[in-house]
This record gives sequence, structure tokens and C-alpha cells, in this order.
Amino acid sequence: MTEAYDIPLPEVDKSAENEKYHTFVNLALILAAITGVELVLVYLPFHTVFILSTLLALSLFKFVAVVAWFMHLIYDKLLLTLAFGTGMAIATGTYTALLILLSSEDVDHDVITGVLGYF
Amino acid sequence: MSESASSEHDSHHNLVVGNKKLLMWLFLGSDCMFFGTLISTHLIYRKLYPEEYDPTQLFSLELTSFSTFILLMSSFLMALAVSAMHKGELKSFRRNTLGVIFFGLIFLGCQVFEFSEFVHLGLTLQSGTFGSTFYLMTGTHGCHVAIGVFWLTCLLFYSYSGKMDAHESAIDVEAAGLYWHFVDIVWILIFTAVYLIEFIGKTGGAAH
Repeated sequence: MTEAYDIPLPEVDKSAENEKYHTFVNLALILAAITGVELVLVYLPFHTVFILSTLLALSLFKFVAVVAWFMHLIYDKLLLTLAFGTGMAIATGTYTALLILLSSEDVDHDVITGVLGYF
Repeated sequence: MSESASSEHDSHHNLVVGNKKLLMWLFLGSDCMFFGTLISTHLIYRKLYPEEYDPTQLFSLELTSFSTFILLMSSFLMALAVSAMHKGELKSFRRNTLGVIFFGLIFLGCQVFEFSEFVHLGLTLQSGTFGSTFYLMTGTHGCHVAIGVFWLTCLLFYSYSGKMDAHESAIDVEAAGLYWHFVDIVWILIFTAVYLIEFIGKTGGAAH
């Protein structure tokens, strides 16, 4: 096998991949711009709630964009979305449950510190 | 090969390809739970013991933003590498994969530099809940990046062996790509939830 070879594939596959190239370039530029906006945003004299919610929204957008386009999830079958979505749902649920449980006034912080000290 | 035998081969081939991809997505789903727990633990302890550390004195937002940018661009190159493999363009695949490996190493270098700075400033694994949860979470992510770099390096060397098959190798590269993108999205969450949030209201902005 020579070094300069290309693996032969049907032409229809190549044209579909060429279309994706422009999507990837645009998405990369958008993601870079959003990261810049996030960095500037924390230095701006806006209300904390506004900054926090904007940061979360931008982060969520970046997350979904990478999963959808770079990871090809929008081009793939629904089963794969479900496989990944289940893990995401459990992870989010874990955080929410822990937040609610440990936000309670009944939580004894000394007990938690004691458990950590044991390890 | 007869037409029926060829069709049977294709059907079997597609089944194998589907299984590999499904397994990768299931693994990523389980890894979501893993990182979800690590990030949750860090955030919960930050909420319980906010006075323990002031991360704004430690974190360099510029360095972390640079790392984030590098990882996002590596994700872009990874998408191009996967696309090149689907098109059967081996040279393009090699070029983009080399770029991903290079960016991955830069990210790891930034993390090593950041960790050594923090240790120098007194933040260690034993220095409290903040140090424990921070190093565990970001260290685990760093290990994932290192594994990804190793995986892609193996694929790059394999591409020179002349044994790459158009269909099978495309799926192998796609699986590695999925893993790399996952590492990227985990960092997107860590960057916002662990780094950026700490600076809100402490950098001249209105703290209300």
C-alpha cells in the first residue's frame, strides 16, 4: 500500500462530508467567540443574576452544539441520544438531589467534616 | 463474492459498526454520571464551606480561558479528522489528528503548570475540601485528556501501518473522536461551573 493513497468511498458520502465542513468551521468560530464573551462577561459591571444566567445559557449552548454537530448526534439515530441522555439525566439528577439534601437546615456540617477527616 | 453473500457481509458489517458506536455512547453516558458526581461534590462543598478558600486569588482566568479555547479548537480538528476518515482521505486525517494531539498536549501542559502554581501557593489534596474536590475533578479530567492523546497517537501510528480499512477504521476513528469531544464538553462545564462562577461579583462587577 502506498503512502499517497486515499481510501475509496462512494462519491455521495464525500459530498455529504464536504457540506459538514462548513458547518464545523462556522461552529468552531462561534464557540471561540462565546468563550471570549464568557471571559469578558465576568468583568462587566452587571447584576450577578444576569451574569450567572447568561454564563449558564452560553455554557449550555456550547455543550449542546458540540454534542449535536461535532459528535454527530443530530445525524445519528435516536437510540444514541437516549443512551447519552440517560447518563446526563442521572448526572443532573444527582447534583439536584445533593443540592436539595445538603441545603437543608438540618444538615450537621461537623459530621461531614468528621467523615472527611476520617479519610 | 456473490450478491447474496455480499449483502450478508454488509449487513453483518453494519451490525458490528452499530454496536461499537452504541457501546461508545453508553460508555460516555456512564462517564457523564462519573463526572456529574465529581462536579456535584465540588459545587456542594463550595456551597457548604464558602469561606475555606478564595479561588479568585488562585485561579488565572486568562490561562484557563486559553486552555478552553485550545480544547475547543482541538474538538474542531477532531471533527475534521473524523470527516476526513469518512471521505477516505488519509493524509487529511493524519494532519488533523496530529493537530488534535498537539493541542491536547498544550492543554495538559497548561494544567500541569496550573497545578504546580497552586501547590506552590499552598493548595494541595490534603489542604481541605476545596483542594480535595478540585484536584480530584480536574485531575480526573486531565487523565481523560491524557488517555485521549495516547489513543489518538496509537491511531496515528496505525495509519502508517497500511492496515487501515475504509469502514472499520472510520468507526474506530469516530469512537476516538466521540471520546475526545466528550472530554471537551466536560471541560466546558468545568470552566463555567468551577472557574468563571467564582469571579462573578469579585472583579469589579456589581455584586448584588
